[in-house]
Amino acid sequence: MTISEFLVNYGGIFFAGLGIACAVILSGIGSARGVGIVGEAAAGLMIEEPQKFGRSLILQLLPGTQGLYGFVIGLLVLGKLDVGMPLAEGLYLFAACLPIALVGWKSAISQGRVAASGITLLAKNEENSTYGIIYAVMVETYALLSFVTSLILVNAVSF
Amino acid sequence: MAIVKMSEFSLFAFDVEKEALLKTLQNFGYVHFSNLTEEFGDESLGLEPVKVPHKLTEIEEKLSKVSSAVSILSKYEQKESSIKAMMEGNKTYSFEELEKIVLDIDYIALADEILSLSKEKDDIVQKIEHLRTEIDELKPWQYLGASIETLSNTYFSDITIGTVSRKLKEKLIEIMSEAENGYYEIINEDKNNLYLLLISHKSDTDDLIDSLKNLSFTKVKLQIKLTPDEEIKIREEKIKKYELEIEEIENNLKERLDYLENLKLAFDYLNNLKLRFSVSENFIKTEKVVFIKGYIPTSKKDEFEKSVREALGNVYYLEIKEAEKENPKVPILLENSNYAETFESLTGMYALPKYSEIDPTPFLAPFYTLFFGMMAADVGYGLIMLLGTFFALKKFKLSDAQRKSIKFFYYLSFSVIIWGFIYGSLFGGVVKIPGLIDPANDYNTVLLMSIAFGVIHVMFALGLKAYMLIRDRKILDALFDVGFWYFALIGSIVFLLSTMGIIGGVIKTISLVMMIVGMLGIVATGGRSSGSIGGKLAGGFYSLYGITGYIGDFVSYSRLMALGLAGGFIAGAINMIAGMVSGLGVVGFILAIVIFIAGQLFNLGLSLLGAYVHSIRLIYVEFFGKFYEGGGPKFNLLRAKPKYINIK
Repeated sequence: MTISEFLVNYGGIFFAGLGIACAVILSGIGSARGVGIVGEAAAGLMIEEPQKFGRSLILQLLPGTQGLYGFVIGLLVLGKLDVGMPLAEGLYLFAACLPIALVGWKSAISQGRVAASGITLLAKNEENSTYGIIYAVMVETYALLSFVTSLILVNAVSF
Repeated sequence: MAIVKMSEFSLFAFDVEKEALLKTLQNFGYVHFSNLTEEFGDESLGLEPVKVPHKLTEIEEKLSKVSSAVSILSKYEQKESSIKAMMEGNKTYSFEELEKIVLDIDYIALADEILSLSKEKDDIVQKIEHLRTEIDELKPWQYLGASIETLSNTYFSDITIGTVSRKLKEKLIEIMSEAENGYYEIINEDKNNLYLLLISHKSDTDDLIDSLKNLSFTKVKLQIKLTPDEEIKIREEKIKKYELEIEEIENNLKERLDYLENLKLAFDYLNNLKLRFSVSENFIKTEKVVFIKGYIPTSKKDEFEKSVREALGNVYYLEIKEAEKENPKVPILLENSNYAETFESLTGMYALPKYSEIDPTPFLAPFYTLFFGMMAADVGYGLIMLLGTFFALKKFKLSDAQRKSIKFFYYLSFSVIIWGFIYGSLFGGVVKIPGLIDPANDYNTVLLMSIAFGVIHVMFALGLKAYMLIRDRKILDALFDVGFWYFALIGSIVFLLSTMGIIGGVIKTISLVMMIVGMLGIVATGGRSSGSIGGKLAGGFYSLYGITGYIGDFVSYSRLMALGLAGGFIAGAINMIAGMVSGLGVVGFILAIVIFIAGQLFNLGLSLLGAYVHSIRLIYVEFFGKFYEGGGPKFNLLRAKPKYINIK
């Protein structure tokens, strides 16, 4: 079987599968990094003030949503998989996965940084830690927009 | 329903009566003092700032004693479950009650007692630590049967003990087999070291030890007399004795647990006392007379006068007048309806209004409620919120601040439920309920609706700006800065709709005219503060350029759709996974239930957090940006925030 034969026969499912993989892998990597960055910062705080665990957990959770968004998109595309799907559909689904894959990846890391600074705020002044949460969620906006774009793309066209 | 009206007072009184006055005023509570030492920094007038450093240090010392005593005793307290503790809550005292109770207790003696007991305990703990380290040092030698004293009492030979790294065991055996007048024994070994006893003739000792140095031999000198085992036993006995002593001290401390409540009261009382003295550093005085200035809510004027009279008799001079509108130093106290007051924390988090502005709280509250509901939008989540907050409000004894923040979510839960019905979402569609809009398919409708809400929100903000300008009799400014913008924005939106063919006919022409009039108006007046004609024109065009900002503002409201959709789909995905698992027999069914509950709770938290923060953003950036500046100082009650009790 030549490459072109393969692409004609199985290209659809290959690219759709690649799309799922990208959406889950990239946003997952980003979230893992982001959550990790905040976790490192938060663990230092726990030495002195373990009673702030609850609030630090919220901050740590914030960069975790991107991975979740990627996962949900992956799950939705999974529902559309079919061995015989045409190449065009596969490529389309691959493209639909890209927004959350790429934006999810980078935004989670940036959000992790902001949230880690939020931990400093929490350490100094517990009452003001809401500000830190707000700053971190601002970054989330863009992940959210790309998630919704991916979502609409996946649902919008049926072949 | 807004910013509380303030009155400014000036009061002259005799310095000796200052403390009595402050005590009465603290009962009254609603006084905010101005800092006069800043205003009258110049001492040439014969005025000097009031200073009470000794009093303050004295109180602070007491405070630190009481607070350490509280934290020591709290360790022995039987912890109630947190729900039960919440239900009981903190006790409420009036200020007078608090003072009366605390002054009856000799809390300092009590605190001293507790502190000295705790110090005694710490000393013993340290002694035990010391003994433990000694035991650790002796432990490896416990199989050495001879007393250390006898080891040094031999005539012809040296008996040495020491350690060698375990990795070098074979080398050791090699070296020792070559040594003629040497004997060795491995007393003990652990992960890293061998513990050796060496016996050598006095003349050979140095050579032997030298050759062992290559194996990192370290000589050990034990500072004991008996055998290591016996010495360990002695120390263990001592530790036991000490532990009994600690137990006794702890029992002693536990007996004092009944006084913990009193100490907590004393702590809150002392904090208030400290505040009472520290505020007096705002005052200035001559040799005999103290001058006090500050603000009180106008509605409490009579009460204030009564309090002053009560404290000072008739020997004082008091003047009260309405606070000036434009004075930036007037402290801000907000007063709102039962519903709107729960949103005051949002206003406070941004910045309190200046006295010349309006309180934005009642205006942001309905929008916030709408936005929050639209983003969280789920009947199930809303019901959980409603039941949770309702239970808390009914059953828990809460402080005012806690009650406000729970009520905040109580009100929001209704909006979440209503939007859940509109979107037809119950835990992400686990049970199908018919909704008005299906956001997964009609996302365009939801998007348009979101932006329409945005347009209304921004227009409303501009309207509030116009209201403030008209109230201050700047009618032209209202026309220039708001009226023209209304023309330009409404005109261009309607014109855009009509070019898309949604609205037609004469409206198209009217809207076009409106838009052009508005834009020309903005160009003509936007730069009016500038001096030169060129500056005015450039400023005008720059103002018009601000229309791109409005486009950004409107688009920003698309988050209303985005969050609602995201939450719904994540909930749906959780249901999907649970559904997949539930097909796998009984275990699968149980697993599915666990996944469903844990997943939905997780998504509930995520949705609420997202809705909370993104609604805040829409309020702070898009809404406040149009009309609100803020920056007024907070009205500080003459009360320290209590830690363990509620003060009514």
